[in-house]
Amino acid sequence: MDGGTMKPVRGLDGWTARVRTAVVFFLAVYPASHLAAQDSPRISETQSVLSQLVESYGVSGSEAPVRETVKRLLPSWVTTETDSAGNLWARVGPSGTPVVFVAHLDEIGFRVAAIHDDGSLELETRGGFFASLFEAQPALVHTEKGDVPGVFAPRDSAFTRHNPPPLHVDVGTTSREATEALGIKIGSTITMPKHFVRLAGTRATGRSFDDRVGDAAQVLALRHLNRALLKRPVIFVWSTREEIGLEGAKAVAATLGTTIRRVHAIDTFVSADSPLELPNFAVAPIGRGAVARSVDNSSVTPPAYVDSLVNVARAHRIALQVGTTNGGNDGSVFTPYGVVDVAIGWPLRYSHSPAEVVDLRDVASLADIIQAVAESW
Amino acid sequence: MTRLRLALFLLSVIQSFRRLSAQSPLDGLALRFASMTAVTGFEQAMGDSLLRLLPGSTRDRAGSVTLTLGQGAPKRLLTCPLDEVGYVVGNILPDGYLFLRRVGGGARLAYPLFDQQLEGERVTVFGARGPVSGVVAVRSTHLTRGRGGPGSPDPVFTVDNAYVDVGAASAAEVERLGVAVLAPVSLTKQPHVYGNRLLAAPAAGRRAACAALATAVRAKPSVQGTVVVAFTTQSLYAGNAGLETVSRLLGPFEETKTVSLPAKYPDTAVETVDLSAAEALVKELVTWMGGR
Repeated sequence: MDGGTMKPVRGLDGWTARVRTAVVFFLAVYPASHLAAQDSPRISETQSVLSQLVESYGVSGSEAPVRETVKRLLPSWVTTETDSAGNLWARVGPSGTPVVFVAHLDEIGFRVAAIHDDGSLELETRGGFFASLFEAQPALVHTEKGDVPGVFAPRDSAFTRHNPPPLHVDVGTTSREATEALGIKIGSTITMPKHFVRLAGTRATGRSFDDRVGDAAQVLALRHLNRALLKRPVIFVWSTREEIGLEGAKAVAATLGTTIRRVHAIDTFVSADSPLELPNFAVAPIGRGAVARSVDNSSVTPPAYVDSLVNVARAHRIALQVGTTNGGNDGSVFTPYGVVDVAIGWPLRYSHSPAEVVDLRDVASLADIIQAVAESW
Repeated sequence: MTRLRLALFLLSVIQSFRRLSAQSPLDGLALRFASMTAVTGFEQAMGDSLLRLLPGSTRDRAGSVTLTLGQGAPKRLLTCPLDEVGYVVGNILPDGYLFLRRVGGGARLAYPLFDQQLEGERVTVFGARGPVSGVVAVRSTHLTRGRGGPGSPDPVFTVDNAYVDVGAASAAEVERLGVAVLAPVSLTKQPHVYGNRLLAAPAAGRRAACAALATAVRAKPSVQGTVVVAFTTQSLYAGNAGLETVSRLLGPFEETKTVSLPAKYPDTAVETVDLSAAEALVKELVTWMGGR
C-alpha cells in the first residue's frame, strides 16, 4: 500500500460506460439548481439519517442525545443495550466468533470549567481543534433545563496572532447567581449551533460529520442488512468519548477481550483534498467512495486484510479508495487483545471545524461496504 | 435547490424568531433585518425589502431608500446606514473554489480580526439564481499534527487566504449555480438571541437601529415640518455616497440625525445589541419627528 494512492475498484463494462456518458451529458446540460431535487432514493435516505444525527448534540461524555437519535433511526427488529460506559450495542446474526463495527457518538466541544463573578463561563476543551474557529461565534450551553444561548466572546487582546487567548462564553448575565439560575453548572457542555446544509451536487456541510457519518453508515447498513446471509455474529457499537482518548471503545474491548474475530473502526478519513493541505498523503478525493484507512496514528491494518477488503468491495461493485491519514481510531484499542483492526472511513474535508464537507455518495458507499463486509467476510 | 436552501436558512433562524417575535414587532423586525445581507455597494435586496415595508418610499440613483413625511419647514433628515462590510467574489478557480475581495472595512473596522472570522465557517454567496451556501476552507486539525512545533509562525487569517468551497468541482459547475465574479458574499446570517433581549449577529447594531427607525415610521407619528427618512447605501465606502446623494437631491436640511445604537463586540459575527435600547430609540425618534 502506498500512502494516499487511490485504487478505484469499480470497473465499467460497455453498457455502464454508455449510461455514464448519457448521465454526464444530462448533468452537463441540465440546470444545477434542479439536481438536489432529483436525489436518488439512496442519497435521500442517506441525507435523512445523517442530517438528524448531525443536528443532535453530544460533546464527549454527554452523548445521550446522539445515542437516542441512533436508537430512533434503527429498524424496529434491532435490539439495543447501553453499557455502563454509555456505549450503545446492537448484536445480530447467529452464534460464533463475532465481528465488531464501531463508530463513535461524541463530538468535539467545551465544558464549563468555572463560572466567573461577572456571570461569564471559563471553558475547557474536549478533543483537539482550533479554538479560533469558535471565537466570536454563537454558543449553546447544554443543561438539564435545556439549551442556553450565549456567545463565544471575541478576544480583546493578542490581535497579531491566529490563536486566541483562552475563550470564555457570555450568556448575557452579569453575576454568577444569574448564570446558575439558568441551569448552568460546572461540567455543562458547550457547542455552537449547527445545521446540516446541502452544497452543490451531492455535497453537504455541517459540524460533527466526524463521526456522525460513521454512526449513520452503521444505521444504514443495518436497515439494509440481509440477516439470512450472516454466517457469524456481528456486533455494532456506537461508542462514547472517542475524542478524548477512545475511552468508550476501551471498555468494549475489555469486555470482549480475545473473543472476537475482527474489528472495523468506522471513522473519518481526514482528507487532504483541499488546496490548503500538503499532498504528501491522505489525498482521498471526496465523491470517490469510502476509504480503507490502512495506516493512521493509532493502527496499521495488515496488508492482507486491506487486500481482502478491496476484494469485498470489488465483488459487490462498491467504490473504495485506499489510503493513509492522521488521527486515531476506536479499533486500535482492540489490537492488544490480538484482534485485527481493519478501519474504514470516508473522505472528509476541513475536519474538526464548523464547516466540514462530505459527499453523500461516499456515505452511501461506506454503508454499502459495511453491509457487504457483515454479510460476506 | 434554491428553494431547499432558502427553507434550510429559514429553519436556521426560526428559533430566534420564535424567541423574539412573541415580544414586539420591533424585535421581529430587528431579527429580520439582522438576517439580511447588504454588502456596501450591493444593498439592492435589502432596499427591495424596505420598499415593500414602507409604502410610499422610493429608491434614489445611489440605491438609498427614502420616504418624505410631512411638509413645509423645517426640513430635516433622519437617516440610517443599511450597509455592512462584506465581500464579493473576486475570482473563480478551475477546480470550483472561489476567491474573495473585501468591500469596505480597513481602518473603519473595530475588530482587527474581521477577516479571520471567515475561516472554517459557512458563508452565503448571493448569485444570480439565488443564495448559494458555501464554506471557507480551513486546514484539517488532524493533518497539522507533527507539522509545526512550538515557536511555529502563527499568522492571522486574511481574506487572501480564503478559499470558498460551494461544493462545486469545476468553474463550469460554479457558473451553473449562478455565481459569477462580483457576487456578494457574507458570513451566513444566523441571528442569535441570548440573555434578556440581546441580539447577536453581524452588523446587529446597524440593523437594530434601522429597525427602530422603520418601526417609528410605521407608527405614523405626527411630524413637525418635513422629515426625510433615508436608509442610505455605501456609508462604509469612500465618500459615504448614499448620504451625500440624499443631501444633494433632497436637501438642504436644517438638521440631520443619524440613528445608531451602542453595540457590544462590534464588527464581529456576534456583534450584540440590546433590543430594550432599540425600543427606547423608537420613542426618541417619534419624539424627534414631532419636533419635541
